[in-house]
Amino acid sequence: MLLEVRNLVKEFGGVVANADISLEIERGMTVGLIGPNGAGKTTLFNCIAGYYKPTGGKVFFERKEITGWPAHRVAKIGIARTFQGMKIMPNLTVEENVMVGAFCRTRDRQIARKKAQEILEMLDLSQEINIYPTELPVATQKRIELGRALATHPQLLMLDEIAAGLNPIETKEIIQILKRMKAERDLTLFLTEHVMEFVMAISEVVTVMAAGRKIAEGSPKEVAKQEKVIEAYLGERYAKG
Amino acid sequence: MAYSDGKMRQVLKNIFSLEDRPRSERIGFIIFIVIILVFPWVVETSYARAVMIKFLLFALFGLGWNLIGGYGGQVDLGQAKNVGFGAYATALMMVWWKVPFWITILPGMAFATAESFAVAYPMFRLRGHYFAIATLCVALVWKELFVFWDWTGGARGVEIPIRPTPDFAYMQFGSPIYYHYFIFLLFIAQLLFMNWFRKSKLGYQLQAIRDNEEAAASLGINVTNTKVITYCITAALGAMGGSFMAAYYLYIDPDFVMPLDLSILIAMTVMVGGAGSMWGPILGAAILIPLDMYLGAWLGAEKRLGIDYMIYALIMMFIAAREPKGIWGVFERMRKRR
Amino acid sequence: MRYVSSMAHGDKLCCSFLYSEAIGPEMELVTQLVLYGILMGLIFALIALGLSLIFGVMNIVNFAHGEFMMVGMYMAYILSFYLHLDPLIALPIAAAAGYLLGVMSYHFLVHHILRGPMVAQLFGTFGLMLFLRYLAMFIFTPDVRSISKGILVGKTISLGWLTFDVSKFVAAGLSLLLFALIYMMINRTKLGRALKATSLDAEAAQYMGIDTKKMNALAWGIGGATVGIAGALLAHFYYVTPTVGMLFTLIAFATVALGGFGSIVGAFLAGIIIGLIMVVSGQYVSELKFTFIYIVYFLVVVFRPRGLFGW
Repeated sequence: MLLEVRNLVKEFGGVVANADISLEIERGMTVGLIGPNGAGKTTLFNCIAGYYKPTGGKVFFERKEITGWPAHRVAKIGIARTFQGMKIMPNLTVEENVMVGAFCRTRDRQIARKKAQEILEMLDLSQEINIYPTELPVATQKRIELGRALATHPQLLMLDEIAAGLNPIETKEIIQILKRMKAERDLTLFLTEHVMEFVMAISEVVTVMAAGRKIAEGSPKEVAKQEKVIEAYLGERYAKG
Repeated sequence: MAYSDGKMRQVLKNIFSLEDRPRSERIGFIIFIVIILVFPWVVETSYARAVMIKFLLFALFGLGWNLIGGYGGQVDLGQAKNVGFGAYATALMMVWWKVPFWITILPGMAFATAESFAVAYPMFRLRGHYFAIATLCVALVWKELFVFWDWTGGARGVEIPIRPTPDFAYMQFGSPIYYHYFIFLLFIAQLLFMNWFRKSKLGYQLQAIRDNEEAAASLGINVTNTKVITYCITAALGAMGGSFMAAYYLYIDPDFVMPLDLSILIAMTVMVGGAGSMWGPILGAAILIPLDMYLGAWLGAEKRLGIDYMIYALIMMFIAAREPKGIWGVFERMRKRR
Repeated sequence: MRYVSSMAHGDKLCCSFLYSEAIGPEMELVTQLVLYGILMGLIFALIALGLSLIFGVMNIVNFAHGEFMMVGMYMAYILSFYLHLDPLIALPIAAAAGYLLGVMSYHFLVHHILRGPMVAQLFGTFGLMLFLRYLAMFIFTPDVRSISKGILVGKTISLGWLTFDVSKFVAAGLSLLLFALIYMMINRTKLGRALKATSLDAEAAQYMGIDTKKMNALAWGIGGATVGIAGALLAHFYYVTPTVGMLFTLIAFATVALGGFGSIVGAFLAGIIIGLIMVVSGQYVSELKFTFIYIVYFLVVVFRPRGLFGW
């Protein structure tokens, strides 16, 4: 088992953003996390990835406890993530952005550069190596951020709403890329999304959160039919009817 | 052997090579070096020579500051304390124990590094303005301490006795030509270091932090440690410049080597020249120092105080509103348009 | 009885006072120091008020704050030295000049850097600070000046064993008055509520029809005006130099940090505390009296960033 979250709780002052969340992710899976706005998805991400310290509960990675570890340690151990609302480095070129990721595993600039070029080629960005990301369209920037995360050689890749703001064509491209990466690099994916076509198309297991709690889990088809899930998104009326 | 032959070559290449910069820059740099090398033979006026030495000194200060302030994006307004540490270490050791110059550089740098390490962890809990003000406070506290303490000479300062004969051990010479190459040597050393630094893992990680701290953390970068290390390196480099000041001016006091105005000047030259670029600090010093020294001579000692800084301040405000990358940034933008 | 003290570096605080049988000399010294600390503290609070206001409304820190104050000081000096008028008249003039300076700074500079990266914001107000500082140095030279004539200048009052400068007393009183006025304005008037709304959530305030640009400019104007008045008052008993700004910017920062960024009440109380700290440390180690203020800033901001009342 790659990632295990056990009874995770996260409170902010009086607000409980995550209440008693447990989930397991096996190596090689693709798990999607969905839920209406405010469900606590990004909070959960941040608790796992080391940006928040959980108020309660535990997180295990490869059976080692990593609860409360700071972000850089979590990255070093093999969990990479992308961010909602991009966090690209505007003053570094595309290549340099990805190199920063590669430097996670090496001290050597040549090696980092080679790795970065490999990844950029796989992402079809070899032409843009020396360009600054702010000059490129958003969809491309997302690919760069993806490449940067990949350069850290993660075992688990957490994607925070990566399809947000992409048109259907771009979304399909991302899906292709992710599928290819998974196959080539033995990657496990954990993604949170609002774009249903994306999540349902790519996930093997879908977990649903609402109001800080986990309310459903299963294959995409199963979960979509569940009353609780429909209710969470659309309210009681639609769930019944 | 810790390093294979190839590794060694790689390190040397990183230090000396400019191959990742455009050809025009490499040529420009070579011309610059040649000019500096022949300068003391071509120009004989002692005032011009003094201006050149001061320019090299501030270019050196700028290079050091550029690490934390430019590549790191943490505006440090207290660099003068490190200059003071270096200056006092050199001056006091020379006066008390007659220690040769090149040995006195080390305790100065060591102390600056240690002190910076101690204050860095609490200070880097802060960001932006608050960090800047904190650096200011620390530097002011030190300066006031040095004025207060008698054993460092207090406000009277320290005077280094002039030796009867020119001396390489104590770096005292009759002719300014020696000092010119002396500071040039230190300048080149720091320039080479910076060349290495910007290509190193530390350099990349630091820039990543500057651009986006949270993302940097997600890439395995220990943000605080990286900032602290860089801050300490900057301190050591500043102290080196301070040691030179002691050896060159032969008289130091807290108002000369540690004042707020010096911190401001160092930060200002880099910010206007172009923080975070390799040439920015040199550019900034190349404009301000001669401007400062010659405008002063031209307008007369009374009136000049301030006009150059006013011009610089106007440029700075303009840059803040339009082009945070400084003059070098403007230049690069123009170059891209072609 | 002359009060032979000024805040200048290196001068020891010495006071002469009448003995009273009922209270021992130590107690007299303590009460004298406390009084002095409170007076200076109220003045520091007034200086910090503008900074707190600006920060509260738009989350930007004005590096040039002390320089605005310096402008007020020079106004008083010009009036006294060149125009031979009483420096007290400088008060409204300094207020107007400070207001204008604040508003212009906002419109020509701050407005353009608000949306930029933090480094640009820092550069911007830092550049403004440098500009004003060296402009003053250019016009007036770095020479130290002081005002020697005026209704409030150089006069002292004694009540029993306590002695104090009239100028400091009036400044402290005005500080109290201005604090009360600003506090009431913010909390009781429509304009004040608009300001408060802008400080809590600028975007939402805009949707409600509040002209946030005007509010920002107003904050800078009031900030400049209050600190300009403080400067004019300060000039009655403190040296006027072009470099005086940075010291008071730092004191203001320490005060606002301690009181909590954005809190007016906080600035008021913190000012008094800082004043007391300065006076007490000045009594024991006079050369380091400001040093302790810097240390306070550092400690507060690192260990309790919220300060006393801030958010």
